[in-house]
Amino acid sequence: MALAYAEALVTKGASTSAPWIAAIAVPIALTAIMILGAVRGDKDIGRLRIPFVFVALILIVGFLAALLLPASESPTSSLWLGLPARAAIVIYGIGVLPIIVLPVAYALTFETQTLNAEDVERVRELGRENTRNQERLDG
Amino acid sequence: MRNPVFALLQTTLPRVAQPAVIMVGLAYFAVVVGISIWAARRTRTANDFFVAGKGIGLVALTVASVSVSVSGFAFIGGPGFVYTAGLGAVFIVLPAAVTNVMGAWVLAKRMRLLGEARGLITVPDAIGARYNSRTAQGVSAIAILIGIIGYMATNALAMGVVIDSIFGVGLGWGIWIGMGVTLAYSASGGILAGIYNDVFQGTLMGIASVLVFVFVLKLAGGLGAISQTILQHDPVFLSPWGKLTPLAALSFFFVFSMGSLGQPQAIHKYYMLRDPLQLKWYPLLKTLGLILVLLLYFGVGVGVKAFVASGRLAPLASPDQATPALLLTATPIVLAALVFSGVAAATMSAANSFINIGAAIVTHDLPIALGRRVKNELWWGRAVTILIAIAAAITGQQSGAMVAFLGIFGWGLFASTLVPALAVGLNWQGATKAGAISSIVTGLVITLALETASYLKLFKFPAGVTASAVAMVASFLVFFAVSWLTSRSEGPTIADDVKLVMEL
Repeated sequence: MALAYAEALVTKGASTSAPWIAAIAVPIALTAIMILGAVRGDKDIGRLRIPFVFVALILIVGFLAALLLPASESPTSSLWLGLPARAAIVIYGIGVLPIIVLPVAYALTFETQTLNAEDVERVRELGRENTRNQERLDG
Repeated sequence: MRNPVFALLQTTLPRVAQPAVIMVGLAYFAVVVGISIWAARRTRTANDFFVAGKGIGLVALTVASVSVSVSGFAFIGGPGFVYTAGLGAVFIVLPAAVTNVMGAWVLAKRMRLLGEARGLITVPDAIGARYNSRTAQGVSAIAILIGIIGYMATNALAMGVVIDSIFGVGLGWGIWIGMGVTLAYSASGGILAGIYNDVFQGTLMGIASVLVFVFVLKLAGGLGAISQTILQHDPVFLSPWGKLTPLAALSFFFVFSMGSLGQPQAIHKYYMLRDPLQLKWYPLLKTLGLILVLLLYFGVGVGVKAFVASGRLAPLASPDQATPALLLTATPIVLAALVFSGVAAATMSAANSFINIGAAIVTHDLPIALGRRVKNELWWGRAVTILIAIAAAITGQQSGAMVAFLGIFGWGLFASTLVPALAVGLNWQGATKAGAISSIVTGLVITLALETASYLKLFKFPAGVTASAVAMVASFLVFFAVSWLTSRSEGPTIADDVKLVMEL
């Protein structure tokens, strides 16, 4: 994204490559930070690899399709679920598909990949220890 | 980039003070007062006041979180922006498909568990604990406080605009009435009153949004008919980027997705969930709720465009008249009343959240950063709540230009100061205290400098580049660079309990 903005600033908005860079950088940045959040210690992300790759691809393909496909919007355009093709890719592809995949993947893998009762108990035990130490310090 | 609240201020809402509207408005305020009295009786400690005693259930927290994530912009300024810019304006709300689950993976679990291990109650608390640094906590608290000053002034003015529109009491009285009611429940019931009022307000916003969306589709004959009409008159409107440049639309997507990880009014709520295991369904429920509330944003924007194009609605005096014009000329007055109450709800909900966070910063974070503790945090929390609300109401009465300027930088300032240090920092053990402090300061200085220079017209960004985006990217670069440079000299600084939370 730094590159895209630098390019746009240097060329005073005339850059033709900045949107292409952004179309790839935004999905990569978002997927990267989600993976960073999903990783537990040294373990890998396991089954979550599939939804992450799927969403990254959906966003990259959606943005690139919007940039690549020729402008075809006209009164005779055929409509996909009520929208012209490129608009449908944006609304249903980028806006709706990730909703179906990501939160469901999060819920289905929650106990194995994110948090389970044992994890919570470990942290609660630490919390109780912290409280005892604090009380000792307070006298 | 248009700030959500700022956009609402551009609207001179029409007077809708009719008996049905006033009745719905009064009923709305009566429910808010009822909830507040109930909550005040249950607020006994600072923990109750600032994080609702960590006792909020999943559904309540989800609806409340949707409520604070959506401002009046979604109801007034947003549809007007779609009406003007076409599909490109939708890139502001499209990230809702990923932001909630992203927040859950990146922040929710770790912040909630830190709350469990350390009894944390604020966002700067988490930064302080992560970096074992009172300076990092203090600097982040100052950054949030500056953002809140801007948001509060604009919310006060936005409240005045809406209440004046519903009750016809004048802008000045509108500000004092709106802020007075918000203050009453913020000071008495703290965040508990805020949460349950948010639940009511979020429900109201959801119902209003869905009803208006269905009404628009019915009136137009479906989305296909809307598209056909627009394509006959203005095909570019329905191109992927609408009337924006591709970079501008993608920039919106970037800032409103990544930036969502730094919005304290939303992420602060992670502390409040009763049971951390309930996080399992939180992203799915919140995403669905958010989509329902945002239906109006898209539906009214494209619907009004089609109605004006086909001559069924007179051309708008300004884009932000899209929602009021549709409601007052084409829908039943009760639906208009519901939406106007929904807008009031959105501004009050946001104001309450910011007041509460601001009070926590003044009474909790800043004293900790200075090595002190306030003895009676509940009493001081209430006192500071009153002061912040009065200051916001007085500032809101000042010149529109000044208030609008204050409102411009809120979202971007939170994003550029908090996302690297908090969202990345809580998940990457290589981040250092120096990296966090440098990135927070960088975000703060660059946002304020660029927004001020842009506001004073000292320079103009090329299309697609915004101060918020540049500040956030710069803050990230500084965060990584300084962390890398100082990783050896700082050595291991992460406390064992924080490390465990980061590794779970």
